[in-house]
Formats: sequence, structure tokens, C-alpha cells
Amino acid sequence: MTHQKPRIAIIPGDPSGIGPELIAKLLNEPGVTEAADIVLVGDQHVWNQGARQADLPVPLNEIAETDLPTQSGLSWLPIDTLPAEDVRIAQVTVAGGTCSLRCLDKALDLASAGLVDGVLFGPFNKAALTAAGLNAEDEHRYMARYLGFTGYHSEINVLDDLMTTRVTSHIGLKDVAERITPDAVNKAIKLAAATLHRAGKERPHIAVAALNPHAGDNGKFGREEIDILEPVVKAAQEKQIHVTGPWPSDTVFLKAKRGEVDAVVTMYHDQGQIAIKLMGFERGVTVAGGLPIPVATPAHGTAFDIAGQNVANVGATLQAFHLLVRMAANHRATRASA
Amino acid sequence: MTLPPIALTCGEPAGVGPEIAARAWETLGARLPFFYIGDPRHLPAGTPVVEIHAPADALHACASGLPVLRHDFPADNTWGQPDAANAPGVVEVIARAVKLVQEGQASAVCTLPINKHVLQSGAGFAYPGHTEYLAALGGVDRVVMMLASPELRVVPTTIHIALDQVAAELTPELLEETIWITHRALIQDFGVESPRIAVAGLNPHAGENGAMGRQELDMIIPLMDKLRAEGLAIAGPMSADTMFHPAARARYDAAVCMYHDQALIPIKTLAFDSGVNVTLGLPFIRTSPDHGTAFDIAGKGIANPASTIAALEMARDMAIARAGAKT
Repeated sequence: MTHQKPRIAIIPGDPSGIGPELIAKLLNEPGVTEAADIVLVGDQHVWNQGARQADLPVPLNEIAETDLPTQSGLSWLPIDTLPAEDVRIAQVTVAGGTCSLRCLDKALDLASAGLVDGVLFGPFNKAALTAAGLNAEDEHRYMARYLGFTGYHSEINVLDDLMTTRVTSHIGLKDVAERITPDAVNKAIKLAAATLHRAGKERPHIAVAALNPHAGDNGKFGREEIDILEPVVKAAQEKQIHVTGPWPSDTVFLKAKRGEVDAVVTMYHDQGQIAIKLMGFERGVTVAGGLPIPVATPAHGTAFDIAGQNVANVGATLQAFHLLVRMAANHRATRASA
Repeated sequence: MTLPPIALTCGEPAGVGPEIAARAWETLGARLPFFYIGDPRHLPAGTPVVEIHAPADALHACASGLPVLRHDFPADNTWGQPDAANAPGVVEVIARAVKLVQEGQASAVCTLPINKHVLQSGAGFAYPGHTEYLAALGGVDRVVMMLASPELRVVPTTIHIALDQVAAELTPELLEETIWITHRALIQDFGVESPRIAVAGLNPHAGENGAMGRQELDMIIPLMDKLRAEGLAIAGPMSADTMFHPAARARYDAAVCMYHDQALIPIKTLAFDSGVNVTLGLPFIRTSPDHGTAFDIAGKGIANPASTIAALEMARDMAIARAGAKT
């Protein structure tokens, strides 16, 4: 009989932030070590630091890479990325960024080799990553490049049972409208559908947000709804995707609140992020949508203001873990049947 | 002191306005004196109408029924089917309410929804909307729209324009006027002695030092520096996605936003039924429910009066604050 549980790699994120403490807390949450086989990837002293900060045990059962195909339970795959004395709590350091990237690289290697089914990472610090040679706009693009993946991928924001994808992301507001093209919207719809399938939703309902106020009010405040969004939604419906819209963006999230939709395709960064962060600032999860490997992380950052104080809330990390386990299980099943 | 009652205009009689007025009275009764201006024939059958001859009569009439200051319309009313013959009456009622509030006979105006297209065809109504007409009646050029609920007050600086026009329409003059009008209204109408205003950035992450748009660096920050020097307590430009969760909201009295949905997404997601539309910058108090005529459900008895009740309550609170600010 094959092993049914997914196996996931967990890395601590930036050791200067709250990541090690959060992973220590996560591992001590009820049901977590039963839900998946877990491989901790990181420096011994960083895991010990997390245990100390959280005042909770983090057992380090050392394992070699060659043992991974039969690994079960909770294991630790050692890696040396920085000396213990280089850890500076609550500071942006090159060493912290290097640790983040080397652990991430290793976890991605394991996933590429099929040794793990998904990757969970603690928060990274963007400035530290950049100083350590990220050489990409963000960690999502970094991961795609590292994996040699050239297909469409995009950050997905998740709150409880709601996902949001974005047609545009980190660009000035004045440049948004010209990037709302049928192709771009279609890709964001398909990404939402694929990610929801991977998370175990059989027939998800995807709502497309309008670009303009009142969805343009029949073309009075912008024509993108009529010229682009309505035809794209109609075409997707003909392909049997359960998609509706364009909906006025000031009320589309109420549908999500009522559980009527599983994902909202947003047109720009703040359209989705305002609502998601308003509804659950401490529970948000980020998924690296479109990558060949399931990857998830809590949406919040390294929180230097509270690092090392044992007050960090594990809620988002726990949500990220459970979502990742669902995605990893489907990923494993898909690979097994392929 | 006893404040004069609030004037509630009938709006488009074929819409949900009349039934909502009746429902609002059922809830508020003598607790919050207001009077309806319109044709009593247009109210739902069975509404306990008490016709009054002067607004002050509403103060006691409201205990026994919906006080109605009669305004005769030429035609009967059919739910969901606006009659152009009644359009001039709708416009007259608004003007009458403004006159009463300016004479001090009413403490505030609360308006039920109109339909612009009906007023354009039936009464030659030349204004883009309700608010512009009220501004003209009040003799002011510039008003500001606020959406307010118990948890949050937001003010969009640009309103009903396409998203790709926002950056071009967003000028320092417009933003400066919006912030000042908001500041003054918080003091005068909301009883906030030292208003704290949060200003949203236009771009994601408030532009992240120019990496995603320069309006923050080139316009918003210099303007805010100037306004701070003039004594305003303003914070920002803030990343719009992290300024609306509960801990962030506790740090300001109103959020000035750059575009419609930046302001409307948070307030509607938080408070769909209890959000109230307030017009700032008029010489009188005006609130309105945050929905339209809803012709599709008019007369069916299912229209939700929550927003109108909230609008009347907010008008009352603003009138109390304004009366207190004067003394």
C-alpha cells in the first residue's frame, strides 16, 4: 500500500523574524504532525532558536536525503546556511536573507525530485532577500526561475475559504487599465480554477470583479466591463468553468463573506487585498499560484517589532499549513496516477 | 434643548422610498422625530399617516403615526413603474426640504433615492445627481461624499469616473479641498474635537518609494507636509490594504481615499446594511441611504429599511453635534 499522507518540507523563513517561533508553535498545534509527514529543512541552531522563543519542543530527528523516500513522521534534514552568531533578531541582515534563500533552494530541490509534495515557508524579509541576491521582483518569481518554470504564475491570496487572484499586481494604478486584456483576465480565471482544484474544490465558483466603480454603470465610467470582462466571462462559462461577473468590487466580497464564491479574480492589487486584510488580518495565507509545486506561506511578514517575544500569532501559519497539506495531497495523487 | 425634526424626502415614489419611510417610522416612532415630505397617496396602503401642517408638529405626531408634510403630486403611483408626470414633484420636494432646513424648521435633510433618468425626462432635471442639486440649492460649488458606519468613515476623493481616469483627475487642489472639508465636518458634525485623518496612497504599497507609481512622492506627500504645517493631524499616505483592519481603524476618525472602490470596498465589506451616505460641505446636514430606487422589488414589502434608519440616526447625531458646536 502506498503512503497516503503527503510529505511536506517546512523551512523557517528569515531567522531574524518570527518564522522560527511560528514553526515551533505550528508543530505543537493539535493534529499538525498527524496531518502530514514533515521534513524540517534548516540549520540546527535556527530550529533550536524557534523552540526557545516559543518555549515549546521542536524535536530534531535527523535524516539523510537518501532516507527521504521512506520518511514518515517528523524529521529534520540538516543544512548549514549561517553561523549561529550571525543571527540578529529583528534586523535586516545579508546572512538572514542567505539563510532564507538556501533553505528555500533546498526545499525546492526536494520537491523537484519528488521527495516532498509541497513547501511551507516562514516569513521572508524582502530587504534581506534582496541584499542576499534574490535578483527577482519577489520570491514568487525567484522560485519560478529556480524551478525553470516559464508558464503563467502569480501570487494568490487566501483567507479561510476564499482565494483571490490578480490580473495586475505591483504596478502603479494608472497602468492598471491598459493591462486588463482578455488574455490576462483569462489566465487569472484559469489560475484560480486550477488552484482551487488542487486545494480540493470540485466545482468552484469564481467571481470576476469589475475594474470600474459600479462595474462601469453600463459603460458610463469605463468600458472594460463591456468590452473585455463580459466576453471573457462568457467564454469561460462555455468551457464549463463556473465563473460569474463582472461584479461591482465594493459588493463582490460580501458574496465571499456569505460563502457564495470560492475565489474572486481581482483586477488590481488593492482591490482584493483591502478586503482580505480587512476580513482577517491575522489569518491570511499566500499561495505561489501556478508553480508546478504547491508552496504556501502566512501572508504576514517577519514582524521585527515583535520578533523574539513569543507573542506571534500562529493562526496564519496554521491556515497555510492545512491548505498546503490539501494541495500537497492532491499533488501527490496526481503524480501517482500520472 | 429639543431639535427640530428631520425632513425625509420621498424620492422616486415608484421605488422603495415610500415603503422604507413607513418601515423606518415603525422602528423609530417617537424615538427619532422625522417627517416625510411627499404625497400620502404614494405610501403603502395601511401606513398610519398623520398629516402635519408644520414640521414642528412632527415632534408629537411621530408618537402616533408617520408624520407627513403633504406635497401633492399629479399622478398616482405604480410600484416599479415611474411616471414622468410625477418627476417635477420629486424635484420640488427636495427643494422644499432644503428650504425648511435653511429656515431652521428641520434639523437635517435625509433623502430617499431618486432616479436621474426619470427626472431628466420628466422634469428637465439638469444635474448629474442628487448631490449636485443639493449643492446648487445650498449655494456651494464643492461638496464631498462620505460613507459612514459605526466602524468606519471613508471619503473617496474621486468618485464616479473610470479607473483609468483616476490618476489624471487626482489633483493636489482636489485632494486638499477634500481633506479640509472632511476635517471641518468631523469637528462640526461628528463632534470630533481634534480630527485624525488617514490618507490612503493611490498605488499598491503606497507606491513603495516610487517603485509602483510616483503620485505619493510627487503630490500626496508634499501636500500632506503642507497641511501638517497648517495644523492638520493627518497620517499617510498609507498602504490601502493595511489601513482598514480593526487596529488600524482605531487610529483615525476618517480615511480619505483616492478612488471610489478604495473607499467603498472596505465600508461595504464591513457594513453593507448600515453604511450611510453623508454629503459634507453643504451649509446643512444631509444624509441618505446607500442604495438606489430598487424598482425590481418596490412595493413587495421586502425592501430593507436598515440603511435609511441608520441615515436618520446619523442625521440626528450630526444635528446634535452641530447644535453643540454652536453653543
